[in-house]
Amino acid sequence: MTIRAPSRKSGLLVVLLSALLLAWFGNAAMASVTTTQPPLRHIKINLHDKAALQNGALYALHMCTACHGIQGARYSELPPVLGLSKSQFLKYIGTDGRHYHDTITTNMSPELMTKFVSMPPPDLTDIALRRSPAWLYTYLTSFYVDPARPAGVNNVAFYNVAMPDVFAGMQGLQKPVMVEGLRFGSPAKIAVGVLPLTQGTMSKAQFDRTARDIVTFLYAVAHPHQAERARLGPWIIGLFLLLSILTYFIYKLYWRRVITSDERWWRIGR
Amino acid sequence: MFGWFDQRLPISSLWRTQLTEYPAPKNFNLWYFFGSLAMLVLVMQLATGLFLAIHYQPNPHLAYWSVVRTIQRDSHWGWLIRDMHIVGASAFFVLVYLHMYRGIMYGSYKKPRELLWLIGIFIYLALAAEAFLGYLLPWGQMSYWGSAVVTNFVTAIPGIGKPIAQWLRGSFVIGLPTLNRFFVFHVFLMPVLLLALVLVHLIALHQVGSNNPDGVEIHANTSKSSWPRDGIPFHPYYTVKDLFGVSVFFVIFFWFVFYKPDGWGFLLDKLNYTPANILHTPSDIHPLWFFLPFYAMLRGVPDKLYGIMAFAGSFALLACLPLLDRNPIRSIRYRSVLYKLNILMMPASFLWLGYIAHGFATEHNMVFGLHVTEVFYATFLVLPFFNKRRSLGASVAWLIVTEAVVLLIDVWMYSIHAHGWNLMLLTDWIPATYLLLLFGLAILFPALTQDTQHLPERLTAGGIFH
Repeated sequence: MTIRAPSRKSGLLVVLLSALLLAWFGNAAMASVTTTQPPLRHIKINLHDKAALQNGALYALHMCTACHGIQGARYSELPPVLGLSKSQFLKYIGTDGRHYHDTITTNMSPELMTKFVSMPPPDLTDIALRRSPAWLYTYLTSFYVDPARPAGVNNVAFYNVAMPDVFAGMQGLQKPVMVEGLRFGSPAKIAVGVLPLTQGTMSKAQFDRTARDIVTFLYAVAHPHQAERARLGPWIIGLFLLLSILTYFIYKLYWRRVITSDERWWRIGR
Repeated sequence: MFGWFDQRLPISSLWRTQLTEYPAPKNFNLWYFFGSLAMLVLVMQLATGLFLAIHYQPNPHLAYWSVVRTIQRDSHWGWLIRDMHIVGASAFFVLVYLHMYRGIMYGSYKKPRELLWLIGIFIYLALAAEAFLGYLLPWGQMSYWGSAVVTNFVTAIPGIGKPIAQWLRGSFVIGLPTLNRFFVFHVFLMPVLLLALVLVHLIALHQVGSNNPDGVEIHANTSKSSWPRDGIPFHPYYTVKDLFGVSVFFVIFFWFVFYKPDGWGFLLDKLNYTPANILHTPSDIHPLWFFLPFYAMLRGVPDKLYGIMAFAGSFALLACLPLLDRNPIRSIRYRSVLYKLNILMMPASFLWLGYIAHGFATEHNMVFGLHVTEVFYATFLVLPFFNKRRSLGASVAWLIVTEAVVLLIDVWMYSIHAHGWNLMLLTDWIPATYLLLLFGLAILFPALTQDTQHLPERLTAGGIFH
């Protein structure tokens, strides 16, 4: 009775052949870009930066919620995120505690907003999951003057956005930096950045920091269990890592019997 | 006390015949973890799904917020349970795809396991339906428009398509009736069907016994006590081994649950973080990763009905594997070099289709989809070539006929929708080159189609974990 181990040589040949084939095919599989993507501004989110979170919360709750809801979240879940006590929080945002356990809604009705800007603004609960922090940061800081639009402004990150430039007072107006590019496969002028046009109440650095704080807050709102995840994750994963090592030795312990009970089998193919 | 129950329920006899005295081949390798892991994930999906269903509201006005607010934020551990359900769905498909490919590699669909394979294909179909139905429930943008696209495909079936689509949706568009019935199908009908099919799959497996990486029938070589010489009791040997597999699986699984629950937008589309908006069609609608290859087929074929046929046909091809591959040698280990190449090309073309569907629906991507679909189909339809040694004439005939069929299909497809010449020239050669390589090598080097002459009679020890 002759028993042969599978040929290793043929396996190598198969790998070589398929590599050749894939390289050949891959040559033609160039991804086609349909729209020139404007570069996003770099941002670093730090959820431990309580001052940034508090500043962002102030703008988000006083400015953003004028039109946008944050319906998924409740006011009551914010104090621990911002590192404040309940009374500190209420004092900080300047309200009594009547709606403390309510969800964060807007007073603008969808119908009214549709009249104002053609559609109800998106809810901001999960906006930082829908969009990356870099996108949100770019979006908030790069409105530019575009007389062709109903609100008079356009946006680098969001072409033909309906939202008016609510930051014009703080940031000042801006003009676009245009390049030739593709939009949905057709040649078009694409805005890739902005330059200041008028001076606002804030300097560029001040406004950038404000925008970063707002994004940080929105990111925290969209990741309500981030602290719990970070605390629990290593334990659970560590537990199963430990179990993996333990069960591996149990498996080897049990299987030693299989190997010794039929030594011939163990030697086959080696 | 136990005796009282055992006389009335076959507890100890089942334990004996199905576990402690059920012979399993000694040489299961890494690939044999995925079946039991898939079963574990099924149980996990049922358990997490139960808790999600308690808080979920199958109503378009409430659905999105019942997920985002009630489940994710207001209920204890709701976020963990939902993320486990999301990651579990994708894990299920990863495991099932690996499990299926294991069967393909080691010829587990061959006699006497054809029915076992077929039941498995039905499990895959039920799983696909379950995943599709569940994807509508969060009522996000991609949920809504994805379901709209898929239910629209059905309308391409001549005559009965439109009534079927209306019956599926319970309306003319996706709405409350659709959500209600998808919810009921997702939490009741499909899970029951899946459980029943998995049970039948297991019964069929234990009737015919497991295949193994060598493809050797262990029951053909038994000791005097009729115990297979190469068999070991499933319990404790494979239970302890699977415990190790489960632990490693959970390390990966929980890494995703805790750190990347949406898997960079692959496990849960980023667009689904926006509530469904019937007035706002997204510019790019695509399914989750596990359906992407089929989506490339649907998009690639320039006619809706033929696209559906190509999509359904790929399931039919899988079901027909026992008929296509009739070579008596089961395991890929003892098959020819070109057969191995073809078996490697099967998932490679499938993954490539997924990559294509991940991109935008440009003409470029559509034409690529069409031609890679042809390669995927070819990997199945050339299997009969490897059933026995072919003469030089037969190899030449296979080359000419398959190339002619591809050419005819391309001409037919271009007659439906004329793509640009440059796109044609850029992509037409993909299936043509594959067939030319396969049969060309078979003609030039007949040794590459030579299966092993020496099949083992007993099991051999192979790669990772034997």
